[in-house]
Amino acid sequence: MAAQAAMSPATGWAIVIVLGLLWVGLGVFWGRKAKTSEGFMLAGRNVGLSLGSATAMATWVTSNTTMLAPVFALTLGVWGMLAYSTASFGLILFALFVPRIRQLLPAGVTAGDFFRLRYGSFGWALFLLITMLYSLSWLVSMAIAGGDLLLALTGISYLQGMTLILVVCVLYTLFGGLFAVIGTDFLQSLIILVGIVFIGGLVVTQLDFAEAYEHIATYQPSLLKIAMPAALLAVFNNMLFGFGEVFHNNVWWSRAFAMRKDVAPRAFFLSGLLWFPIPIAAGFIALAAGPLGINIVAENQTGPTVAAAVMGNAGLGAMAGILILIVLFCSMASSIDSLLAATSDLLLKDVHGGLLGRQIREESFRKLAAGVIVGVGILAWLLAAPHWPIINALFISGPLVGSLIWPVIAGLFWKRVNRSLVLAGIILGSGLGVTAYFTLGWFTATLVGAGVSMLFTIASRLIAPKAFS
Amino acid sequence: MFSPSFLQGLIVLALVWTGLGALALVVLIVRDWIKGTLW
Repeated sequence: MAAQAAMSPATGWAIVIVLGLLWVGLGVFWGRKAKTSEGFMLAGRNVGLSLGSATAMATWVTSNTTMLAPVFALTLGVWGMLAYSTASFGLILFALFVPRIRQLLPAGVTAGDFFRLRYGSFGWALFLLITMLYSLSWLVSMAIAGGDLLLALTGISYLQGMTLILVVCVLYTLFGGLFAVIGTDFLQSLIILVGIVFIGGLVVTQLDFAEAYEHIATYQPSLLKIAMPAALLAVFNNMLFGFGEVFHNNVWWSRAFAMRKDVAPRAFFLSGLLWFPIPIAAGFIALAAGPLGINIVAENQTGPTVAAAVMGNAGLGAMAGILILIVLFCSMASSIDSLLAATSDLLLKDVHGGLLGRQIREESFRKLAAGVIVGVGILAWLLAAPHWPIINALFISGPLVGSLIWPVIAGLFWKRVNRSLVLAGIILGSGLGVTAYFTLGWFTATLVGAGVSMLFTIASRLIAPKAFS
Repeated sequence: MFSPSFLQGLIVLALVWTGLGALALVVLIVRDWIKGTLW
């Protein structure tokens, strides 16, 4: 898999174009439901349980989930898979926040509305800075992963593959808004879940567990260790990273506003439950590599390499690459579309409308929204094209988003805080967390960021607190 | 070390759970569609 393409470039083009036409077609079809700006940005605020659960789950399943989970398993063993799964707790806990979010902001549109309400202009600007860095690095790392995926599986050049995936996602998002995003997320979530079960099931049928365990215990015993300090730190670091990502980002807040009030808490809870087993189901196949005699040439290609090998053993041959491509494309598209929509909503409402103070007339909204979505897409393309290791920017954003956990909780549920202390905690937490990233290791960064911010936020309740206006 | 039975149980549980998740989504969307509460 890592050494040569699993299918021809022509087949790769055909699959991505067919899937792309499907998503764009559905985007145009569902986009007709968006008659107003609120319809475009928030799908009419009436999304039901099935679509709500699926969109939250699918958005959180990224190519990182399916590609990095095996790497976590390969490097950190059983704890690595469990560490990744703790990211689902963010979705589950967010379910508890949603009723309060809807109560506090009955006509809310973005997460920026909350930060401006509770922490004023400076807090809002700080939030915008952090969330843009995080969201853009997530978006760009997905685009880069798409280019890498198409190159590895089909031989299509990185630039062409990355461009193709971005163009497809930009098109159906701009035609259909959140209706298109949520609708396609449902189909993509089914494909992802079925694909993971199919591939994982094949691995299980080809694996003798007793022999496999013996092999790992002999050659890679650290992967089975219970007391593995770095892995245990990774568990809590990942969990807090997940909290920070979900609690602050407009991808989730827009969904909280889009779902029906009675549905939203259950949908987020269910999405977390649906997401929890995925890193384990996708990741364990890396542990099967050694016992099955599969040679891993490139660590970041562990998942597709093992998947292709077991499907080859099962006589599926050429279908292997096709299935892997479809599952990974769906996992990328389900996140890219959400990021495009949520980021452009923030730029439209918070930056264009809020910071620049420009009124957006209803009749010109769709044109403006389309322009912003295309603009974000172009920016993502420009940042992805040089193939910089943007994924590192995503990981570095861990302490930044981690430092927002307690300010969100305080803003939602507390009556009085010292706002300056909270904001100081965000800044200091971010700074010290990033320092920890480079000096102590990635698996400490979010712990430090969230921890420092927590201390300041708790102090803000005790030292000269003022009631929220 | 994690025991062989724990590891096997965890993997099988994760796969079954993932599969049930797909089934749950299908059941939910059929239910929402019948009740007219999709979106």
